[in-house]
Amino acid sequence: MIANPYTQADWNAVIPLFIVGGAALIVLLADLVSPKYANRYVSMAIGILGLIGGGVYAGTTYGVSHNAFGGGFILGGFAVVLQEVIVISAIFSIALFGAIGRGDRIAGSVALMLWSTAGAMLMAGAANLMTIFLGLELLSLGLYCLCGLADRPTSRESALKYLILSSTASGFLLFGMALLFGATGSVTLAALTTPAVAVNPLYWLGGGLFLVGLAFKLSLVPFHVWSPDVYEGAPLPVTAFMSVVTKAGTLAVFARFAYAAIPAHASNALLIPFFIIAGISMIAGNLGMLAQTDMKRLLAYSGIAQIGYIVASLAGGTDQGVRYAIYYLVAYMFMNLGAFAIVALLSTDKEEGSSIASFHGLAQRRPVLAAVMTFFLLALAGFPPTAGFLGKILILSTNVSAGFPWLAALLIAGTAISLYAYFKVIRLMYDRHAKPQALPSVQAPLAYVSMAVCVILVVVMTFYPYTPSNVLPLVK
Amino acid sequence: MSLVLIVLPILAGCALFFVPRSDRTVSRITGCVVAAITFFLPLVTGNDGAISAHWLSRPFTASLHFAWGGLSFWIVLLLALCTFCAILATNMPQTRTMIALLLMLEGTMMGLFTARDILAFALFWDLMLIPPFFALVGWGEHRDTAWRYLIYNFAGGLLLLLATAAFGVIYGSTDVIGTGHSIAGAWAPWIFAGFAIAFAVKTPLFPFHTWMPATYSDTPPPMVAVVSALQSKGGLYGFLVIGLPFLGSAMAQWKWIFIIASLVSLLYGAYIALVQTDAKRVVAYSSLSHLGLIVLGIFSFSGVAVQGVLVYIIAHGLFSAALFLILGYFEEREGTRSLARLGGLGALNPKLAGAFTIAALAALGLPGLAGFAGELVILSGVFQSGYFWPALIALIPIVLASAYMLRLLQDIINGPQVKDIPERTDLSWVEGLAVAPLLAALVVLGCYPHAVTATAAAFTAPLAAVQPQAAGTLALTKEQHDR
Repeated sequence: MIANPYTQADWNAVIPLFIVGGAALIVLLADLVSPKYANRYVSMAIGILGLIGGGVYAGTTYGVSHNAFGGGFILGGFAVVLQEVIVISAIFSIALFGAIGRGDRIAGSVALMLWSTAGAMLMAGAANLMTIFLGLELLSLGLYCLCGLADRPTSRESALKYLILSSTASGFLLFGMALLFGATGSVTLAALTTPAVAVNPLYWLGGGLFLVGLAFKLSLVPFHVWSPDVYEGAPLPVTAFMSVVTKAGTLAVFARFAYAAIPAHASNALLIPFFIIAGISMIAGNLGMLAQTDMKRLLAYSGIAQIGYIVASLAGGTDQGVRYAIYYLVAYMFMNLGAFAIVALLSTDKEEGSSIASFHGLAQRRPVLAAVMTFFLLALAGFPPTAGFLGKILILSTNVSAGFPWLAALLIAGTAISLYAYFKVIRLMYDRHAKPQALPSVQAPLAYVSMAVCVILVVVMTFYPYTPSNVLPLVK
Repeated sequence: MSLVLIVLPILAGCALFFVPRSDRTVSRITGCVVAAITFFLPLVTGNDGAISAHWLSRPFTASLHFAWGGLSFWIVLLLALCTFCAILATNMPQTRTMIALLLMLEGTMMGLFTARDILAFALFWDLMLIPPFFALVGWGEHRDTAWRYLIYNFAGGLLLLLATAAFGVIYGSTDVIGTGHSIAGAWAPWIFAGFAIAFAVKTPLFPFHTWMPATYSDTPPPMVAVVSALQSKGGLYGFLVIGLPFLGSAMAQWKWIFIIASLVSLLYGAYIALVQTDAKRVVAYSSLSHLGLIVLGIFSFSGVAVQGVLVYIIAHGLFSAALFLILGYFEEREGTRSLARLGGLGALNPKLAGAFTIAALAALGLPGLAGFAGELVILSGVFQSGYFWPALIALIPIVLASAYMLRLLQDIINGPQVKDIPERTDLSWVEGLAVAPLLAALVVLGCYPHAVTATAAAFTAPLAAVQPQAAGTLALTKEQHDR
């Protein structure tokens, strides 16, 4: 008999994943027995409860620092905070199911979303190449199905595009991992820091391919072209989910790699190209927003630029850099999910209200929604008094002090461009010449709640800018 | 206490959106009461209303720190007064919405002018763009104007943000307005450049002014009165409280750029004002010219000139607000503001014509009114500190000011009465009340500018720090010139 090498503490570290994954099974079982008129809400309720359970359990381990499964999964401040981000955005995304497509059964979608969440949570703590890939695939497999679940051609297109392109990226990532393994003979990230590996060409090739894979998942330019199409086609809650969760999970992997898996003298040569593409993403993403006529596409391009800002915060490998990246990620999560909640509230049973035309004259029809949407767009553009404003200040100052003023300059330039795109929507909402349109009547209390929570948190974060202090080191 | 100045108008503005859209009375009374409270609060409390709350400790220290001491005191009073008058004068479709926007604008600018922390200053710097943007969206005549206003000013705001971040990282704290330790080193000129471009866009100074005439002519009169009187002072205030105390040496290094830009603004603004046919644009370009004079005064680094600058900042606020409000009355009555169409209003509207004359005379610098006191002191300060030619060149636009202001007066008030504009009613009671405080303040300040110049003492130390180096730079420039 083989002795189990893992201790109780190792399993405790991944209990939140099991709670979330187990909740998915319960959702599916409950759907079989629940009455037809209520199955939607049963699925949503179990899903959200499972996520809350997982999130709360993960929260209790905030102070714990443990190297689980021989370095495969590292429990610590960073992993826990990222897991909370992932769990919260999953909760907000599931809440949006209440507002759209009221005729459909959603148990399958909710279950898939929970499994994807578990995958992203694994990525948040993954510290060897195997667990990184495991988490990434668990996240992606669920999303391939989720993207195709809406009953319209663009949704199927979205699923196919995401499947093919994301698999290609996974291929890059896997090949890079294989080469890294070849260079070091170990799958743990910590082993990559030995200075000797930096002379091995396999290491450079492997590291490069690995980063290309990550850039694709983060949708950084020039690997971003898939994201607007996929976002546009996927059902609204799935788009909201993807816009934060995939990025948070991948960002965790990138941060861990950049901070703790590169020999000190090699880090600039390997990472500077990555920061350059982050800088280009800030410009290109914001330029891409200008021509959009669909809110989901607009937010996709906006996400490309915003992820560029977050990655830029990690430049220089400073302690404050990773803290401000987390701050901005949390801010981005609330701003973005708030905007998606409003799109959901403009949707009808038949059609998602994501066309920008449906915002035309919104201020006359739904003044409160228009005002709140204005708030979120202002926040995304970096206007005060929002977390988007303070986050930008924090990233700018970390860039300046870490010796990357050119990233700060690109951030400023990108933000200036984005202004036009965001204000175009604001202006459309307040157009005094707009013709009155019919009101979609939406009974979606959860979407209203999540909208309000997002507004409050985005403001509160500005004046109480808490950033977690125990995030480093990322690998022991 | 200073938090009341910021929060009360903003909350009142938000609350007004809950009264019916067509309401006039309730919103006007609420607006006036709120503006009056913000006016009397600093007067009666007798302290500087300081309030401070910790905000950031990393990457630099920042606090939400507000107070109305020193120069802020007079600007706060001016802002409250202008807002009061503008709200009283608001009479247009959707009065309620305009008053709500005016109140929000007041609150955000109160934040700007009472901020003692550069980060808080930057926060309100961006925030104060939003109410005028919505005013342009809601009432503007041209689609582009709102964009031009927003994009120009927000781009400036972003540079301000970058400069603030760099300032914080290098200095360790942004909670510094009102203190002063000069920053030196390789970064200082760049930080100053960031601040300076933001301030120059807002003022506006010559190459960055192109958003201004369209914005001033498109924005409805009550809003433009406040924007031209106060928002443009944001940049000048920034030069005084952030530029001089902290970046004095960088300012001295680059001063010739600003002196030349301010002289160009002076001449160019005056010249264009002379040929414009849109009454609001005449005042807009005259503003460019007048504010150029203030920038010249600041960059002469003379203690005397700075006293004049303070007086002229307040005076310009008073007369430009009065002029825009009165032009608004004309436009409302006649439906046009083209100087070619207007004419002969003086005979039938003596009170309106009288008010207009006082405001215009203040603008052209008639002795006894506040404009004169400011101009005279600035010019003598500039002259005293050795800038003979700039002072001489700056005299030309002052002569031109008489020309374009008298032309404005003549075209509107004198001349033959235009036949096809039937309705002529004189200043109503409320309308009169809306401009009377501004005109009265112009007279008081013109006779007794000392109240304002007393606050100039705060700027003596930073000026003294800059002076020797200023002389050195001047000598260097002369040498280069000789070569």
